[in-house]
Amino acid sequence: MAYSAEISRGNPSCFVFLIDQSGSMADVFGAGEGNQKKADGVADAINRLLQNLVIKCAKEEGVRDYFHVSVVGYGAQVGPAFSGALAGRQLVPISEIGNSPARIEQRNKKVSDGAGGLVDQQVRFPLWFEPTANGGTPMRQALGEAKTIVEGWLGQHPNSFPPIVINITDGESTDGDPTAAADEIRKLKTNDGEVLLFNVHLSAQKAAAIEYPSSESNLPDQFAQQLFRMSSVLPEYMLNIAKKEGMNVGEGSRGFVFNADMVAVIKFLDIGTRPSALR
Amino acid sequence: MDAYAKAFWLPKEGSSEAEYEDAYFPRHTERRKGQRLRFAIADGATETSFSGLWARMLASKFVRRGINFTFTPDELRPLQENWKKSVSGKSLPWYAEEKLASGAFSTLLGLELTDTNSGNEIKRTWRAMAFGDSCLVQVRGGEIIIAFPLKDSASFTSRPDLLSSLPSTEINQSGAALIAEGIWGCDDTFFLMTDALACWFFKEKEADRQPWNILRDLDTQGQTSFQAWVASLRSSGAMKNDDVTLVRIDIVG
Repeated sequence: MAYSAEISRGNPSCFVFLIDQSGSMADVFGAGEGNQKKADGVADAINRLLQNLVIKCAKEEGVRDYFHVSVVGYGAQVGPAFSGALAGRQLVPISEIGNSPARIEQRNKKVSDGAGGLVDQQVRFPLWFEPTANGGTPMRQALGEAKTIVEGWLGQHPNSFPPIVINITDGESTDGDPTAAADEIRKLKTNDGEVLLFNVHLSAQKAAAIEYPSSESNLPDQFAQQLFRMSSVLPEYMLNIAKKEGMNVGEGSRGFVFNADMVAVIKFLDIGTRPSALR
Repeated sequence: MDAYAKAFWLPKEGSSEAEYEDAYFPRHTERRKGQRLRFAIADGATETSFSGLWARMLASKFVRRGINFTFTPDELRPLQENWKKSVSGKSLPWYAEEKLASGAFSTLLGLELTDTNSGNEIKRTWRAMAFGDSCLVQVRGGEIIIAFPLKDSASFTSRPDLLSSLPSTEINQSGAALIAEGIWGCDDTFFLMTDALACWFFKEKEADRQPWNILRDLDTQGQTSFQAWVASLRSSGAMKNDDVTLVRIDIVG
């Protein structure tokens, strides 16, 4: 059965995040709704995701290398997007990510006071990725970069739980049709199944997000339809996770969200990166 | 009552012995005599840290009669404080601190055998308590008398009810333990098993085989060792790669 390989230190899996860093990412979400810039929101979401992955892999003796992670930015240039000690690194074991944040901020977090109430507590908030918004949207080149990274990984980990590539963008490609490059990624596979490619389209308008569609008929334009066709159909294990989270998914649902706000992005990343079984 | 208890255990394939996160009591193979004997196993959750310690604390506390059958999670407070003391006080990396804040989780399965004499009447009873998917099976004369709290292989999910090392006000904890009770006989065997082994056991039974015979003969002369046996089941896919624990209790009189 596909997508059932155990994820362990001896047989780790891999995530590749492609982050649109084009000039339009400096715009705010949903055309005036709130005032958070898309680039800031996405940086926050990626930093939180990296935190959660590190915590998921943490045990008393340290962080177990269940995953290797790549974050690729694309805008004025295409390449590794970690800052700080990991700058320039393409694929990094999760333990190194845990131990090498670019900086650690102090933030307030609401925690239980043990008597039914909430109190503010200062927590450390590590950051690896800074918001950037500059240049065009070379999505085709970014997908090509992801393919190179994943191919290198597959050569060394032919039996791994299939790598997952998540592309977060607010618009259309400016370096040509990215469809073929996306197809190339989805054709890659391990002995446990095909590589998964998911796409997150960020909100430009104040319309509800369309999450995990199973057809392109409700999508408003050709670019949304193109991203839909570029996205993998959700495998059964992920359909089950999405159903448990109350998402409206069914046979043929794809790993695609159109017009996502920040809440939808965070939820999507959470479902898309939840492993089946860590050992 | 005279009982012989033997424990078998193994960490996940690819993990060291120090990374084993189940627990069992008694710690050593022993022949025990008494009117009231207690045994326990616990299965610390892989997703949390210091869960092996929490599992050992729970199993040990039950066997020392520090946990009653009627207990409420609030009564675990002192034990939770002990866990917290054992794991804090060090300067930790940010992720270890975050992980600790969500606590450790574990199953608990406790069994008490009682042998009381009142007048001419001898009462031989047992009681068991369970949180989560660690299982008890009582076998007599080649028949299962009871399986508790789960009864078949389809009942194992990845999200069983677990005991948290954090006070119940901080999490949504369901509360009471499941309780079962019955009568034991002089040739009975009780098997206490954590989930991977219990699930294998029920699958064998569902295929009309008699898994208790295999468990009964483990480590007796001429048999393969527990380790080799589990390794073969894992590699054939018949058993999930998880920490495995078995406490086998033979009533010998």
